[in-house]
Amino acid sequence: MTGDISNARISFDDVRVGFGAGKKRKEVIDGVSFDLGPGEFVSVLGPSGCGKSTLLNMAAGFPATDSGEVRFDGERITRPESRRGVVFQQYAIFPWLTVEKNIAFGLTLKSNRRSRSEIDETVRRYIDLMGLGGFEKALPKELSGGMRQRVALARAYATDPDVLLLDEPFAALDAQTREFMQELLHEASRAERRATLLITHSVEEAIYLSHRIVVLGNRPTSVHEVIDVDVPWPRTPQSRLQPEFLEVRGHLEGVMRPLSGSTLRKAQT
Amino acid sequence: MQALRRTLLPFVGFALVIALWWLTAVSGVVGERNLPTPAAVLDAGWTGLTTPDGLLVDIRLSVLRVLIGVVVGCALSLPLGFLLAWFPTTRAMFDPIVSFCRALPPISLSPLVIIYLGIGEDARLFVLIWAAFFASVVVLYEGIAAVDDIYVRAGRALGASEFEIFRRVIVPATVPQMFVAVRVALGVSWATLVAAELIAAQRGPGWSIQRAASFFRTEDVYAGIILIGFSALLMDMGVRLVQRRAVSWQERVVR
Ligand SMILES: Nc1ncnc2c1ncn2[C@@H]1O[C@H](COP(=O)(O)OP(=O)(O)OP(=O)(O)O)[C@@H](O)[C@H]1O
Ligand SMILES: [Mg+2]
Repeated sequence: MTGDISNARISFDDVRVGFGAGKKRKEVIDGVSFDLGPGEFVSVLGPSGCGKSTLLNMAAGFPATDSGEVRFDGERITRPESRRGVVFQQYAIFPWLTVEKNIAFGLTLKSNRRSRSEIDETVRRYIDLMGLGGFEKALPKELSGGMRQRVALARAYATDPDVLLLDEPFAALDAQTREFMQELLHEASRAERRATLLITHSVEEAIYLSHRIVVLGNRPTSVHEVIDVDVPWPRTPQSRLQPEFLEVRGHLEGVMRPLSGSTLRKAQT
Repeated sequence: MQALRRTLLPFVGFALVIALWWLTAVSGVVGERNLPTPAAVLDAGWTGLTTPDGLLVDIRLSVLRVLIGVVVGCALSLPLGFLLAWFPTTRAMFDPIVSFCRALPPISLSPLVIIYLGIGEDARLFVLIWAAFFASVVVLYEGIAAVDDIYVRAGRALGASEFEIFRRVIVPATVPQMFVAVRVALGVSWATLVAAELIAAQRGPGWSIQRAASFFRTEDVYAGIILIGFSALLMDMGVRLVQRRAVSWQERVVR
């Protein structure tokens, strides 16, 4: 299938993935197709273990595909590159570098090298944008979980990628920090207008940040439903109380409950 | 309070052991000839260190030998360890050989070494370098293999080339392991050196213990052993001091 991918930045085209061989073979992803358009913010919701990280890693350039393909601007993705920035599910900022050196890392590499003054300026900008002022020289071990993820976001933004791929960046945070981070990310993505793919477990988070939401089903996974979020843009904390927001939330919670329920039942047997 | 406890408690530990030793010695259950009192040992150690051409010369000689062994051994093992661990082919090819040489007690080489290099300083240094090299190369090896893949992937996603991944991710991530490697090499070198000196040497603390023992001068034997222990401990503490500064980024489990 070579669908019309006219102006999609990232497109998943009938992706299938399984792990293991022989009797131990486990099909994980069973034909997932969807697009991420330019400047678009798309969230992926799905039950735990359904293959969300696997999909995102493929878009990043860490291949797992058995059949189908993931394309970036129409070209098959074969390896990671800095035009697609990634924030991983685990803490992945370098513990041996200070906050500012972590953020500058991508800009000091051969493929992306900038002048000293440009690097300083970019680092300054993202330190401010992510509210990390005063922690420039701090080491990751001195930071809270929320701050580490902000450094990871800043590091991903700094190389000026065309697409951002975020894998549950706020999963480990408490509810309040999480809302604060969502607002921060919303501000940043409005200011930067980057195509962003966000993986999340949180219905609230998905609605708050996205133009569209892709709901994945249980393993072996396919696309269960795609929802356009019509909550007015830009979103503010008040958006969470608007009727459009509540309506989508009600609908999604209804869709998600049986999905996660059956995962739990499966896990118990 | 915490700091006070950390600096004080080790001394309390030493004091307890010495007290126990003293009590056992003066109680006479093992006989004064067999177990000298701490004071007698201190006295013997002091005399040994202050007499010209005495214990001090032996210890200095050993410290120097261990230093040379560890410095040369680690200077070889650091680059080679990276080389072997980084390329899957060389890793698969040399892993068993390295494990074999590491498992082989270095002292068992001495007869061969004596045949090829004689019983001089060269022979001893060769065995020490060998011991330091294989002890540290394995630690390093495992350290490199244990670098969390997430950092490698993060580096790649930011656009790093293979070489940049190596130099900017693998190497810094392995620095803590390098210090462990050096400390392991130190320990193995001391053990090997003293064992070698006990068997055949003209000088060195191992040799002087051996000689003292053959004259039944137990207090000299104890003094020698304690001196060796402290020299090794001091060198280890030196490395740890540098380590604490160099890898201050490391998250430690504090209890
Ligand atoms: N390299 C691998 N080898 C074997 N199985 C794997 C591998 N990677 C992922 N899996 C399996 O694929 C499934 C999907 O994993 P993935 O991490 O993509 O899930 P996820 O949707 O991100 O889950 P979560 O919401 O918990 O993060 C899991 O069942 C996992 O065990
Ligand atoms: Mg995941």
